[in-house]
Amino acid sequence: MTQHDPALLSAALAGAERALNQAIAMAPTSHSELNALAGTLLGIEITTLELTWYIEMVTGTEVRLISHCENAPDAFVRGTLEDFAALATSDDPAATLINSGIELEGSSASLIALQQVISRMDIDWEAPLVEVLGDVVGHQIAEGLRRFFRWSEGAQASLKRQASEYLLEEGRLTPPKPELEHFYDAVQSVAMRVERAQNQVEKLLAKAASRRTSQ
Amino acid sequence: MSDDAAHNADRNDNTTDFGFTRVDPAAKAGMVRGVFDSVASRYDLMNDLMSGGVHRLWKRFTIELSAARPGQTILDIAGGTGDLAARFSRLVGPDGQVILADINAAMLEVGRDRLIDKGAAGNIEVVQADAQALPFEDNSVDCITIAFGLRNVTDKDMALRSMLRVLRPGGRLLVLEFSTPTSPLFGKVYDQYSFQILPAIGRLIAQDTDSYRYLAESIRKHPDQDTLLEMMEDAGFVECRYHNMTGGIVAVHQGFKA
Repeated sequence: MTQHDPALLSAALAGAERALNQAIAMAPTSHSELNALAGTLLGIEITTLELTWYIEMVTGTEVRLISHCENAPDAFVRGTLEDFAALATSDDPAATLINSGIELEGSSASLIALQQVISRMDIDWEAPLVEVLGDVVGHQIAEGLRRFFRWSEGAQASLKRQASEYLLEEGRLTPPKPELEHFYDAVQSVAMRVERAQNQVEKLLAKAASRRTSQ
Repeated sequence: MSDDAAHNADRNDNTTDFGFTRVDPAAKAGMVRGVFDSVASRYDLMNDLMSGGVHRLWKRFTIELSAARPGQTILDIAGGTGDLAARFSRLVGPDGQVILADINAAMLEVGRDRLIDKGAAGNIEVVQADAQALPFEDNSVDCITIAFGLRNVTDKDMALRSMLRVLRPGGRLLVLEFSTPTSPLFGKVYDQYSFQILPAIGRLIAQDTDSYRYLAESIRKHPDQDTLLEMMEDAGFVECRYHNMTGGIVAVHQGFKA
């Protein structure tokens, strides 16, 4: 097994912890929800990198990231780097979690609760800008950034929709979703029938074998 | 002389190391005190400059290994400027207690001021104490840490036995200390850094070449990873192990009281 230098992992976790806690500090509306999760411990193992680390919700305003933990986590997820990347970028995390190779041990409720709080987190980017640059300049820059993010979200959704339409309608390179689902249903139905037939054949063979031994 | 042999000499003859010099054991504590009196006010700044801030990561991992929980009593020996104690204070909470101990009054004074500035108070006690004869009751502490302090102790075996006495059964000792690089090539680069660059930084920042030369020399005279492990086992600790960090420049040793 690869021996990672604990100082390297500590450096990565210290940086991420600092960024996370700063983000939480800028999202005051999420503090009460995060406070309800205080004491929750989640373990994450990235098998490709042979890395294990833990997220501990200390309070509603403090998260701790650690590489060594002796307490049993409330939930432990294990998967490859690709699995976690797919989960992070998925539109439907629940479906990706079920269909990917990610293994989950313990209570999924705490994991889902944390994911929901993070997805609802409304970070007030304006506050630190106003603190540094003053009310007028800070607000103008924040407004500009908000417009840019709104435009980029819209552009991303539009690009995705157009690419999907091209692949389906123009290029006919991928089947439509209902057709694909119908195909999967048909495959599943055939698989079940084959399994039933196999069971019947095995039963008949067993019966024939017992007749031969009794004669 | 190998580390084992050096360690045995430490145990058998009537002198001890002060850097590369052999001195009377009774004089070593006073000489070490002189070094730390000289560097106390700039100790953290110098640590940051000398390690590039990495000492904070080494300490962070040591704190993780402590598995400190609310309500526990933690003794931080040679706690100096109080950076470990400040973190422990939050982890053990108002029901726990952190004892910041150091033999050097100047370091403790800096540490106490820093803790107050950080708002760490209420569950911290500051005690001037010699690691060889800890002034605490038997079986009274859940965890002991000693970060970059053991190599300055005159009789390390005596200090380890004293720590074992104070620990509760099941309690753990964590020794964070400079050690021996695992790669000989890296070791040579590190030697150049320690004996050429380190004293130069000491001269520039603290106007004190000798103290920083002592720090470099004391690191070389400190037992290597396996020797210190053996010393901990000899003192009576069980399930002893160590983690190398930054190529073995530093190691954190862990042992439990049965």
